[in-house]
Amino acid sequence: MAASVRHLLKPWTPSLCLVRWSRYNSYYLDPDPSKDARVPDSELSPEQKELQELKTVRRIKAALSSDTSSPFSDPLMSKFINMMMQDGSKILARGIMTQPREEIECSPHSVFQQALENCKPIIGLASVQKGGKSYQVPVPLTDNRRGFLAMKWMITECRDNKHRRTHMYEKLSQELLAAFANEGNVVKRKHDLHRMAEANRAYAHYRWW
Amino acid sequence: MAASGCRGVRSILWKYGSYGKNLFVSRSKMVPQLPLRQIYVASSLWKKNLAAAGPQKFTQEFIDKQVEEFEVGKRHLANMMGEDPETFTQEDIDRSIAYLFPSGLFEKRARPVMKHPEEIFPKQTAIQWDAEGRPFHFLFYTGKQSYYSLLHDVYEKILAIERHQDKMRNKGLFTSDTKQILLTGSRWLLKEEIEENLVENISVQDYMRLIQLMELLLSMPYCSLEEEFILKFRKQLEVQSSKYEIPALQYDPQGVAFSVADGRRKSAKASITLRDSGSGNITINGRNYLHYFPVLQNREQLMFPLLFVGMMGRFDIEGSVEGSGHSAQAGALRLAISRALLSFVSEGEVEKMRQAGLLTADPRIRERKKPGQEGARKKFTWKKR
Repeated sequence: MAASVRHLLKPWTPSLCLVRWSRYNSYYLDPDPSKDARVPDSELSPEQKELQELKTVRRIKAALSSDTSSPFSDPLMSKFINMMMQDGSKILARGIMTQPREEIECSPHSVFQQALENCKPIIGLASVQKGGKSYQVPVPLTDNRRGFLAMKWMITECRDNKHRRTHMYEKLSQELLAAFANEGNVVKRKHDLHRMAEANRAYAHYRWW
Repeated sequence: MAASGCRGVRSILWKYGSYGKNLFVSRSKMVPQLPLRQIYVASSLWKKNLAAAGPQKFTQEFIDKQVEEFEVGKRHLANMMGEDPETFTQEDIDRSIAYLFPSGLFEKRARPVMKHPEEIFPKQTAIQWDAEGRPFHFLFYTGKQSYYSLLHDVYEKILAIERHQDKMRNKGLFTSDTKQILLTGSRWLLKEEIEENLVENISVQDYMRLIQLMELLLSMPYCSLEEEFILKFRKQLEVQSSKYEIPALQYDPQGVAFSVADGRRKSAKASITLRDSGSGNITINGRNYLHYFPVLQNREQLMFPLLFVGMMGRFDIEGSVEGSGHSAQAGALRLAISRALLSFVSEGEVEKMRQAGLLTADPRIRERKKPGQEGARKKFTWKKR
């Protein structure tokens, strides 16, 4: 980690073909909009100290429009809203997310977090081709991937499997409550995935990464 | 080298006359009719051409003459512009040349320039061997004499530090927590920069080897003995927070402090006046911000810098914004508010704001549509045949 951080001190030179490119070059570091999130200097590990020093000499990207320093902003919530957004209508997506507040009584924030935690799969399946046949191989998932799958299943389930006449926020709130209690379709889907992985555990050695 | 040796031999053969003619293999370059009894010519005279054809194209005298002319020209220029020749800096020279020779060329390097000859003429190696053909440096035959001599120097220093360590150990004064060299805010010189210093080409592996050796030097406890040597190979990176221009704090006739700043995002332009000792009113384009921004996210963006700095109810904000959509206008206003806040806030806070991403102008714009595709990223339906 220390070696990689030192490596970041080299100035950026553009490489040739930039296919998926961003307006920032890789010299820019990500911003940290949270207020007073600073741990006092004595408790930082040496790598974190290096990172702090690196931040003083490197340029930082601009904060996103959806980020604020207020304690009410939640990165998980922002991610969920973005995933639910269609055709760029953030206003609508955010409205749907903030509406279940009236239906859920006790601390909707923690209910949301706990429900998504209950939906996260622990192990996933990857398709590996071997000897002409493709097998579903059980594979560990990164935290990002697990969170993404949980949110994706939640949104898909709310969009597809409910009655046409109910509003999105109603469907969402019902599903979230059910997931919080470890019932409902999303948690069932997670359990199905776990069962398939357990069934296919004979192929686990096909994984080479 | 072989050619020179051959020519040296040739001159001896010519000296010994007739039988030399029989042994000799004729070449097209050779002058056919030289007299038999030629006076022996020293081989060094043949070698003069080789040296001149080598790396050095400008002699030291030439460069010195150029430096003299530059100094004299600098004084003439200062007199022409009516300024003091003693305190005429390079920036003044650039300014004067841009004034006297205005050029509309787009390529900056093609415009007329007057700089010190050190910067114009590339650094070259001097002739590395003497009149006899013997090289001066003992590492000449490695091909990269400066690089290898540098490696030798670094290793010498490592050995010296080890000896120092042993001495301290013998005296019983050895400690691991000696003064460490501060490496924060600096980086190793790049391969290109080292090549410039050594006036030699080195390969990537050579460069990595050099950096490895320097890191080894740094890892020893008593490396502070060689601090200035190591710092020669480090380049200081400037601290970024010093790059932001803080708008000047102005005062009302009533004595109220206020500052003005601009911000832009995506084609929206915003201008903000931040007045002190207010009560937190925000007026944009003459309307209250609740009317102008019905969306919660945009109002949050307006409040973000104030909340971050902790000065929520202190200021009155008066802003005007035009162009683009609601979200971009909110972003432009946020940038303008952050910039205006810089004049009310301390140095440490400026750095914190910068690291929160409040002071960077967002460069993202709409990506263009490409030919052969539906949009920026969306492709036409893929048909197999």
